[in-house]
Amino acid sequence: MRNGFRQSMAWLHTWAGLVTGWVMFAVFVSGTATYYRTDISLWMRPELHAGAVDPVQAAERGVAYLKERAPKAVSWFVSVPQEDRPVIGVYWLDTLESPISQAMLDVETGAPTTARATQGGDFLYRFHYQLQMMPLVGRWIVGLCAMVLLVALISGIVTHRRIFADFFTFRRDRSAQRGWLDAHNVTGVLALPFHLMITYTGIVTLGFMFMPWGITTAYKGDGMTFYVEGAQSPSWRPAAGRAGAAQPLAPLIARAQAEVSEPLEMVIVHNPGDANATVVVVFEEPKGLAHHHPQIAFDAVSGAVVERLPAMKPAAHVFTSFLGLHEAHFAGPALRVLFFLCGLMGSATIATGLVLWSVARQPKRGAAPGFGLRLVQGLNIGTILGLPIGIAAFFLANRLLPVALDHRATWEGAVFFGAWLLAALLPLARPHPRAWREMGLLAASLFLAVPVVSAITTHRGFDFLWFDAAMVGLAAVLGFGAHKVSGYTGARPAAAAQSQNKLARA
Amino acid sequence: MTPSSVALNLALSFAGLAALCLAMDRHHRAILSGAPSRLRAQALRWTGWAGILASFAAAVVTSDWNFGPVQWLGSLTGAALLLVGLVSYRPGWIRPAAFLALPLAAAAALLA
Repeated sequence: MRNGFRQSMAWLHTWAGLVTGWVMFAVFVSGTATYYRTDISLWMRPELHAGAVDPVQAAERGVAYLKERAPKAVSWFVSVPQEDRPVIGVYWLDTLESPISQAMLDVETGAPTTARATQGGDFLYRFHYQLQMMPLVGRWIVGLCAMVLLVALISGIVTHRRIFADFFTFRRDRSAQRGWLDAHNVTGVLALPFHLMITYTGIVTLGFMFMPWGITTAYKGDGMTFYVEGAQSPSWRPAAGRAGAAQPLAPLIARAQAEVSEPLEMVIVHNPGDANATVVVVFEEPKGLAHHHPQIAFDAVSGAVVERLPAMKPAAHVFTSFLGLHEAHFAGPALRVLFFLCGLMGSATIATGLVLWSVARQPKRGAAPGFGLRLVQGLNIGTILGLPIGIAAFFLANRLLPVALDHRATWEGAVFFGAWLLAALLPLARPHPRAWREMGLLAASLFLAVPVVSAITTHRGFDFLWFDAAMVGLAAVLGFGAHKVSGYTGARPAAAAQSQNKLARA
Repeated sequence: MTPSSVALNLALSFAGLAALCLAMDRHHRAILSGAPSRLRAQALRWTGWAGILASFAAAVVTSDWNFGPVQWLGSLTGAALLLVGLVSYRPGWIRPAAFLALPLAAAAALLA
């Protein structure tokens, strides 16, 4: 604390923000997109049309498929079609340790859908918390960066002490640095409740991964019991080891529906075909913040109710409310727009913070930038524009890759990373301020191309008007940003240079 | 959490924040003319906080204690972003927009 509290906080804010900024920018952007995960998935499977379906019939079709496809699995999961997800999703676990397998079935026929193979919105959703790495590694990286970001947020509140005096202020007509600082403060402060909430609840969702020792100690390694006692899932009934004839599914679902008023969401069968098989009927979340689904478990052979998920105790209620707040499943269309806007502002806060770091260290006219500055500049443009370019390319790949291509869904992901990598390397060969402009225009044109290419390659008319509008909107934001940035990152005029010290303290 | 209740929230939050913004010397100078008198600044400040409180009440009444606070904070962010945009690019629009927000809020309240 040689230089006092505020200076220490400024140092912490600067460096905590810088080292985690690139990862957190990617996490914020993909997370923001995930607010529209089902809409993205719908757009990416243009062959599917939403329509009314009998959920019970859909569940039966799903189970019939799994009986054929995975008779020896330990668990089957059948998610019934929703208005915004017009397929039957089937998932199964071959053993309790094996990764989850999945397929999508046509609502009408119950056979695997002929819609193009794609990861849909799930790609960005998974990227959001595990960066498309090995799941655990990715989650640790995201989680650690989120913790440092929380530190950066709180130290930022201390550092930018004029946030209330400058609450409504965005001075874009002064020096470049002043403009970036105001943009950083405005996007940071106006959505501060969101930033704090989303970062904190994000860490909480991964909390049990960081600190499993409480559960390990209290439950002697039997983590499943923890979730049962926390009213998160019904208890696990081990297999009897002998075969048993299961009751028909529809009457069981009907009995569950008589008790719960929410719509049916999923049917789970544990140990199918066994004398101890269990059918769990899962319903959608009742109105509330908490991320908690009503569930009723039946003995599949006798048809007796084995368990009804009890009401949550306060601690579990708080935990699931944090999860619910983070995921915002409860948000209707209007509130969802506000969440999306807040997510964009979070991304913008991080992006402007990263740019501010490099603008504040711009060398005097004529002097060559050092290695650190060039590295940050390269990573900035490679992330802030590279990621949107990757996303636009991902959408374009969905429309342009041949439908019959092998491993098509994987190829879409490869295009995403390939385009991002190219977009990160290309600007290194260009003079710096101009690279911003060029890549920004490239990103904007790619987003503009998405609705055009989609209109040419599919026949859905105006079904995706909102998606198209969002693409045009993003193109406008990126194009406008590119135009602004190219004027603002050049060498500073002498007068602005003199005020740098003053600004650095503001 | 219906669109009209969010619209009601946004309108009240905008009107409140606009009044708070005008209560500050710098913005009053830029948007109207000259610094506000102490009385005027104080009146604007009270009006502003009243608008924000009214917005909170509207959120809780229309969307319950569950979602009300979430919706209120979201509407403050959305309204403030619009306001900052106007302050910076179209300061002349702020006063008419704040007055327009009130009948809009009333209309949304009837629907909510």
